[in-house]
Amino acid sequence: MRGDGAPISRLGGGSPSQALSDLVSSASSTLDGAWALFEDLASNGSAWHVGSSRSALNIIAAVFGVWIPRGHDLGIKRFGLLSKGHASMALYTWLAASRMIPIEELKSYLRLGSRLQAHPEAFRVPGIIVSTGSLGQGLSIANGIALASRIDGVPREVAVILGDGELDEGQVWEAVATTSSKRLSNVTAIVDRNMTQHTGRTEEVKAKEPLEDRWRSFGWHVVTVRNTFDEIVAALEEASTVDMPVVVIVRPRS
Amino acid sequence: MVVFESYRRAVSSILTELGDRLDDLVVLDADTGRSTGSLAFGKKFPGRYVNVGISEQDLIGTAAGLALAGLRPVAMGFAMFLMRAFEQIRNTLARDRLNVKVIATHAGLSPHIDGASHQSLEDLALMRSIPGMTVVSPADFNSTRALIRAAVEDHVGPLYMRLGRDNAVHVYDDEEGFRIGGLRIVRDPVDVVVYAVGPMVGMSLEAAKILETRGIKAGVVDVYTVKPIDSDTIVKLSSRSILSVTVEEHNTAGGLGGAVAEVLAEAGAGRLIRMGVHERFGTSSKTYLDLVEAMGLTPRGIASRVESALATARR
Repeated sequence: MRGDGAPISRLGGGSPSQALSDLVSSASSTLDGAWALFEDLASNGSAWHVGSSRSALNIIAAVFGVWIPRGHDLGIKRFGLLSKGHASMALYTWLAASRMIPIEELKSYLRLGSRLQAHPEAFRVPGIIVSTGSLGQGLSIANGIALASRIDGVPREVAVILGDGELDEGQVWEAVATTSSKRLSNVTAIVDRNMTQHTGRTEEVKAKEPLEDRWRSFGWHVVTVRNTFDEIVAALEEASTVDMPVVVIVRPRS
Repeated sequence: MVVFESYRRAVSSILTELGDRLDDLVVLDADTGRSTGSLAFGKKFPGRYVNVGISEQDLIGTAAGLALAGLRPVAMGFAMFLMRAFEQIRNTLARDRLNVKVIATHAGLSPHIDGASHQSLEDLALMRSIPGMTVVSPADFNSTRALIRAAVEDHVGPLYMRLGRDNAVHVYDDEEGFRIGGLRIVRDPVDVVVYAVGPMVGMSLEAAKILETRGIKAGVVDVYTVKPIDSDTIVKLSSRSILSVTVEEHNTAGGLGGAVAEVLAEAGAGRLIRMGVHERFGTSSKTYLDLVEAMGLTPRGIASRVESALATARR
């Protein structure tokens, strides 16, 4: 794990509050359930963008299972945006494992008439406040939500989950510059750096490296973690204490 | 005689007034605030003005986020470059029915010096094709003020407003009687009904005066709400006239001409000619009127086209 500022206090290593450790252990067991549902769905003919969802599931669990409920305890309105909307398999299996949608409903995924759309649509499933599917747009929306706090005084924090292939979109970099120019320290970007995009390896399609330097050069605080639930949770905890926009770059475990 | 007013002065004056009344009004611009008129709002309410820089896609996304947080954003820019964000407007603002007002200036032929790259002749067609979008194109200074007020204060949901620059041809002496969804019969039609938008309302009124001296009674309808269009009124007026005409600073395909053609064809209600810019781009011109004349859209140009089309229709 590498960070720009103070080292991340690893879970269990510091003295996390009771509420946080409860949230983490509960989310962790929900995540086990989500993985089982995920593999079921993948093997039952509903596999769709499986790789993108597989690398996103730990991130979704950390954001929706710990970071957002933790905000509730702290009196901060927190929002999670799935800018890489095609990771819907991960989102829906997480929601089903959390009992936010019925497990049975996963069978309707991608079927005509289902609310489990290929790309999540706003307010049709819990936790999704804006429709996504077209890449590159989530960070701009996150910035808008974050800016609102400066105007109406309501504390809000936004975490936005981006794919690494998604970073090819120019709008991402328009927004990356907006976040830092406007000093929106209540925005956290999470890049699912799974090294893969639609037609192959990211570095062969369009290079993303040196990824940390790119974000840093735009004025962001960069935290790199491996793709484990615990490391992502810890990075998000750190992000909320840093007084500048933070990007968590989630690299493959090995 | 046409009298020019400024759309952007209308923008500045009404937005600053609304800012006094509405604490949740936020104005965004893509670094064109000096030109669109939004900067006046920014100077008066710096805390509620957001310049995102020259990035229209980011502009729309940021406005979407502000609306999601419950504020009342107005996103401004040049019409041509806001069309870079067509997909963001479609996929986020319209699909999620977010309460964002997109106000575009410099539409049509109004940036006459800038030339083809800046002269947006397709935006009505693009915006009109999006499900649930409201599309408004005011004629002059007073109606721009009235319709911005209505859009910001009363209308909830995504809305696109098309404005020019300093080419608002004076039509109305006050701000009464405009509503989102409405149109306005400015001169009663008899032989001919001319449907016009934007500065072409004033141009068409002058054309109607010319036609009157030639014994032709032409009425003028300001179709300031291009979508949802008031099809009942249009069918009624066109059924009573010999000839229907649309006049717009826009491609003849897909804009007002397209909208009226769809209504009349489905109702089987009469004969239509569409005036505007036909299957071409704009071009630089030192003066606005020279460019409008080259496109055949001055009062004289409109009058002679109507006269010959009416002769054909009567044959």
